[in-house]
Amino acid sequence: MELIFKIAWRNIQRHKGKSIVIGAILFIGALLMTVGNGVISGMEKGLTQNIIESFTGHIVLISDKNESDSVLLSMMGKAVEPINNYPAIKKILLEQSDIEKFLPVGKNMAITLYESGMAPGFAFLLGVDIEEYKKMFPDNITVIEGRMLEKGEKGIVIPTSARKEYFDYTNIWLIPEGGVVVKENLPEDAKKNMNELITKDNAVFMGSTESNTTTDIRLGVKGVVKYKALNTIWGHFTIGDIESYRECMGYFSAQDKVSELPKEKKELLSMKNENLDSLFGSESMFVSSAGKVDVSEIDFKKKESVKKENINLETGVYNLVFVKLKNGGTLKSEVKKLNDIFKANKIGIRAVTWKKAAGAIGSMTTIIKGALFLFVMFLFLVAIIIIVNTLSMAALERTSEIGMMRVVGARKEFISRMFFGETAILSIIFGCAGILCGIIIVKLLPFFNITSQNDMIQLLFGGNKFQPFLSITDIGLTVGQLVLVTFIAVIYPIKVAKSVTPLDAISRE
Amino acid sequence: MNIIEIRGLKKDYPLGATTVHALRGVDFVVNEGEFLSVVGPSGSGKTTLLNVIGCIDFATEGSVKIGEVDITSMNDRQVTDLRLNKIGFIFQTFNLIAVLDTVENVEFPLLLMKKHSKSEVRKKAQEMLEKVGLKEYIKHRPAELSGGQRQRVAIARALVTNPDIVLADEPTANLDSVTGASILELMKEINNTEKTTFIFSTHDANVLKYAHKIVKLKDGAIADGEN
Repeated sequence: MELIFKIAWRNIQRHKGKSIVIGAILFIGALLMTVGNGVISGMEKGLTQNIIESFTGHIVLISDKNESDSVLLSMMGKAVEPINNYPAIKKILLEQSDIEKFLPVGKNMAITLYESGMAPGFAFLLGVDIEEYKKMFPDNITVIEGRMLEKGEKGIVIPTSARKEYFDYTNIWLIPEGGVVVKENLPEDAKKNMNELITKDNAVFMGSTESNTTTDIRLGVKGVVKYKALNTIWGHFTIGDIESYRECMGYFSAQDKVSELPKEKKELLSMKNENLDSLFGSESMFVSSAGKVDVSEIDFKKKESVKKENINLETGVYNLVFVKLKNGGTLKSEVKKLNDIFKANKIGIRAVTWKKAAGAIGSMTTIIKGALFLFVMFLFLVAIIIIVNTLSMAALERTSEIGMMRVVGARKEFISRMFFGETAILSIIFGCAGILCGIIIVKLLPFFNITSQNDMIQLLFGGNKFQPFLSITDIGLTVGQLVLVTFIAVIYPIKVAKSVTPLDAISRE
Repeated sequence: MNIIEIRGLKKDYPLGATTVHALRGVDFVVNEGEFLSVVGPSGSGKTTLLNVIGCIDFATEGSVKIGEVDITSMNDRQVTDLRLNKIGFIFQTFNLIAVLDTVENVEFPLLLMKKHSKSEVRKKAQEMLEKVGLKEYIKHRPAELSGGQRQRVAIARALVTNPDIVLADEPTANLDSVTGASILELMKEINNTEKTTFIFSTHDANVLKYAHKIVKLKDGAIADGEN
């Protein structure tokens, strides 16, 4: 082996030009791969951290009746099933030592209604106890205009993205109650026509669950907010107080929980998909197209509610419970553990990871990482072709030397090892240099404090700051790819070198 | 005792649509310790004959026995090992490994054999270089040596493994007459002292005085029988 590496090393020195070409390719490939992995890992880490810290926690509890685990961002999918037994869930969660915090929320699609008679739009509505929400996700929201919701207050805070969508659809610019138009926050086209701008400080929402689309509610806009990170994703979620949300969705609220359904609701539910014309005879305008509705398990509220003081919000209906683990916990085992407990207690709830609950967003990092991997592998493919070509030429140029070695008694394996040794030395020297430089770049980049307010760039950053990150696994992956490239790149040149016979060496002379 | 026995050896090369008959049925034997010269004009088949004996090329027909083994039925690995262990080669153009220095070139076949320790290999190589008069040049690369010195290195490399046979294909062709004579003297001396069998090809009549036996080739066949 010493002999092989001695010859290999001296051949590298002897053919400096070729060695530098191959080395440079390996260096650039390893550098790009390392930095690329760092960027993607940073994005993945940032996304994970931001999503967990600012929106979902580590685990999301959903009703067993949900067919899909992807409950957060499914646009036109089924509505998120209600959770009617939150107090029982809370009791279980409080007993878990690995859980740091949890927050029940209402989440569903709502129909936005407009007085002008235009076709209704849609909005994601998140119903929360605002005090609990702030405890669970502190500092995840910046108020742009107006103020945050206050404890016990009815109303909404609308994110900038949702307001823009509302404006694009209705030409109405939502402003907070008592607020004024802040010109710099207006879209460019609205700035040009300020005089024609229609403003409004409230919006009408109507539940859009499969089991109920009958109740509408007008909610005042208390503030316009922006999620500090990933506003592109979460900016679609309008946050309202939980009681208004329940009222909107037709759920029993904590305020006025009653056990008996109004007569007209029972009639509606018993109709299933039949006799839809009769709807227009009643005061209801919308009805679910869902087939079966289990009346016994869904609490619908009376349209006319009675206000009570000191109500316990937790007795009402929710759709999700966000759970944060202590120190991240071990996600998979914690999910399994919770599911086992829920199953044993027949609680009708299942725990899913934030990635599953977030659906496409959860998979996004994997997809982007895969795309980058393919891109870098393409670069490596180009590198492989160049290396193969250079080494094959080298093998042919060295026919006399190789043939002579074969004459003297070197087996084909020796020639293979010698060629592999040369490429391996180049890979180790230049590849490691590339990886090392990549690591240094990844470590230095955060010091440049590169930030962006652009939503799409934030998505790539995994937050508002560019923070590439390299794990041991990432470095291992790069090393693995480098090894793979080395192996692939020498296969053909070795074949060429092995095909050199002793006679070729003699014939050349 | 026969060390090489060649019977009915033929070697054909396809050349486009025609076939070149390089050897047309050669028969002869070589005894152990002989200093045999294969002579003939260019194109007579000298190099082809040496290549087949040295397992560098394969016979089209006939048999070549080295010792008791017929090399024509051997696979690549077997003939490679045979070359390493039984045969030494000296070529007209020296054929040294450019990236290795003198002593490393001589060590090369010993290291391939993997029979000796590193220190033994170095000792044997140095002794052999001393024998060929290159003690002072052990750290020189081939490019730093003269033609005669390179051929001495090649001889040292060919002999360092104590081969049964040394095949030398026109070893003096690229050397001036004085250097050529000294190389032949060296080979003859080793033949006398080590009893190594030498087969060398040449078309230089001056070389023939060193030979115990001469095989004359003409158009791929033995011209006048063995001498």
